[in-house]
Amino acid sequence: MTQKEISEKIKENFPNAEIKIIDKKQFSVLVDKEQIIPVLAFLQNIDFKELAILTAVDWIDENQFEIVYNVFSYSHYQQILVKARIDRNNPKIQSVINLWDIAKTYERDVHEFFGIEFIGNDELKPFFLHNWLDLPPMRKDFDSLAYSNEVYGKFKEERDK
Amino acid sequence: MVLEMAHGTFACATFNRDFIRGVDMLITSRNDLRDNGWERILNYFRKKSMWMLHYCTGCGAMELPPTMTSRWDMERFGIGPMATPRQADLLLVTGYLSIKSLKRVIYTYEQMQDPKWLIAFGSCPLNGGIYYDSYTVINRLALYLPIDLSIEGCMPRPEAVINGFNTLMKGIEKGTAVGYKKYKENYEWYKKNQDAILNRTKPVFDSGVKS
Amino acid sequence: MNELLTFLGEEDRYKKYELFFGPNHPGMNGNFSYIITVEGHTIKRVDPDPGQLHRGFEKLVEHRLWMQNISLIPRICVPEPDINELVYSRCIEKLMGVEIPDRAKYIRTIVLEMARISAFLLGFSAIGGSTGLYTASHWTIGDRDYLLDLFEWLTGARVYHMYIIPGGVRRDLPEGWIEKLEETVDYIEKRLSEYDRLIYNNPVIVQRLKGLAPITQEDAVKYGITGPNLRATGIKYDTRKAVPYAAYEYLDFDIPVQSDGDGLARAIQRREEFEISISLIRQAIKKMPKKGKVRLDMPNPLKFRVPKGEVYVKVESARGEHGYYIVSDGDTKPFRMAVRGGSYTAGLVYARKALVGMRIEDVALWMATMDVCAPDFDR
Repeated sequence: MTQKEISEKIKENFPNAEIKIIDKKQFSVLVDKEQIIPVLAFLQNIDFKELAILTAVDWIDENQFEIVYNVFSYSHYQQILVKARIDRNNPKIQSVINLWDIAKTYERDVHEFFGIEFIGNDELKPFFLHNWLDLPPMRKDFDSLAYSNEVYGKFKEERDK
Repeated sequence: MVLEMAHGTFACATFNRDFIRGVDMLITSRNDLRDNGWERILNYFRKKSMWMLHYCTGCGAMELPPTMTSRWDMERFGIGPMATPRQADLLLVTGYLSIKSLKRVIYTYEQMQDPKWLIAFGSCPLNGGIYYDSYTVINRLALYLPIDLSIEGCMPRPEAVINGFNTLMKGIEKGTAVGYKKYKENYEWYKKNQDAILNRTKPVFDSGVKS
Repeated sequence: MNELLTFLGEEDRYKKYELFFGPNHPGMNGNFSYIITVEGHTIKRVDPDPGQLHRGFEKLVEHRLWMQNISLIPRICVPEPDINELVYSRCIEKLMGVEIPDRAKYIRTIVLEMARISAFLLGFSAIGGSTGLYTASHWTIGDRDYLLDLFEWLTGARVYHMYIIPGGVRRDLPEGWIEKLEETVDYIEKRLSEYDRLIYNNPVIVQRLKGLAPITQEDAVKYGITGPNLRATGIKYDTRKAVPYAAYEYLDFDIPVQSDGDGLARAIQRREEFEISISLIRQAIKKMPKKGKVRLDMPNPLKFRVPKGEVYVKVESARGEHGYYIVSDGDTKPFRMAVRGGSYTAGLVYARKALVGMRIEDVALWMATMDVCAPDFDR
């Protein structure tokens, strides 16, 4: 299937989806957070079998998190960025571990760095960080430089003395 | 060939001279025997056989395979890789240390037996380097463990690494590379610094409440 | 004493135990750890414990200018750093909608294939190292240095090159470099037959690798295994062909595939791709425009702004699909960059399934054949 056919098919089944073409082999689909599992299941049925990356973007000005599911098909050679926005004050979304086993690890990763809850994933334990008690570090309001200076010592000032 | 032989005789000569000087001290007094002379004899032999722990913490590890294998071959200086910390003398901190690996490096360093030396690679263990504003990379290794030698470069080339090893050998012979003694003497201070970042009980910033 | 032994035997306390495989373990490549529950000699459960190399790149790039990041990102993947520069540069070029000069495309291809060869050579040495065949390590790493010397001549650095930049490459090829490269490639091709005798036709290695953790096609797709490991199962997919970048669309090459998907197939797949890389370098040298610009005129790096948008760019690395997802909000700094490391899926996810039922001594070999590289998923 070409890009046009796929995007038309998505539009047919999910009239609310916002489709944006990025280039010849890539486009993004923005859907509501309730629709994320139906959309991904639909894409998986038309041979989008590889979940390349699951990540999040912190749109702090709009007070929203954007979850990005990046799927790829080995037969159509198309990359689709499926996105859903959730409220930043109550960051919860349904987990997709029933569709992809591998999502368990990606969601654990995103949970650690953004503090987003994935309902249904029981493996949201600490992963990369050691004894982390502060704000999740990838949030935009977490100041990495201030944290580093506070915890590991300000080196620049000491050097000037 | 000739050069090699000449080098051999030279090494032999220094060996004899040092050895005799060591024996002189041995005879002079019992104190010297314990504190100085015996140590100097030991140091002379220690520097000739150093076992490097097979544990690489960061990017600098990439230049160790060339250093170990045929092109630069560090074994000609008497340095070889060793698998367990308990039988190793050298700990290489090859680059930045994230807080998670700092914990493991401290364990490893404390498992190693005296005498032991720690070499820091690059600028990251000195001041954080390019990761000065990272939330997981420590800025100064010297606060948590004693550094015997720092090698400059990002990452240090194999020549620099071997030059560093040679400098360390000189330091060992002179008795200036004594990081492990410093660590013993100032153990409380080091432990306090380590605890402050490893066993944190409350968040750093007030806003930091994990959701 | 006898009482104690009987007690321990009855309790079976030492039959089942937990083993920290890494970070301080000679079989582990990289600063990374698997916490393995072992019963006797067989692995029952695996928990990856990453984070020892975590530096928070995704956060650091948000605080640096677009051009400053060029010096930061090669450090994401240490054995093959050039792919990072390429992916990052291509993200910017796609967002800006510019096309780089033809000569730059070919130079990028040559540099990438050289990096791939040096990564494969390291992979061969890892196979040698984890089977006790240290001759292989000495040979391959010694030969890799010829490539590093060329890199040093071209870019000034042995490992982190920072040569590929948005808009092309940093500078043109020096005089005499191409001739030296041809010589080196000829030499390395000659050495291949010796590697065959040493590694791939060595009965010890063949016996160890045969039947080692075979991957099925369904599992490979389901778990997101990419690159040579995917092709070793028989799926004919290569990003260089499917979503071409640099000058790959002008070059003629065929993708080899294996069928078994076990350790031996994965090793042989890498060995065959090695030849493809050599032929790609030769073709690129032949087809490269002799003169021309190697770099577009880009705006002032201090005021460099990238238009609003988002893009995911991936390349074929020696370990698989290596991609960046970049979001720009039109500012002088990236808004968000997410890294998909080439061995994220193999090392963190698939390992939990593949290692179960294996013997302890095969873990290091499994990591060597899957080419698990800790820095690219620790980020």
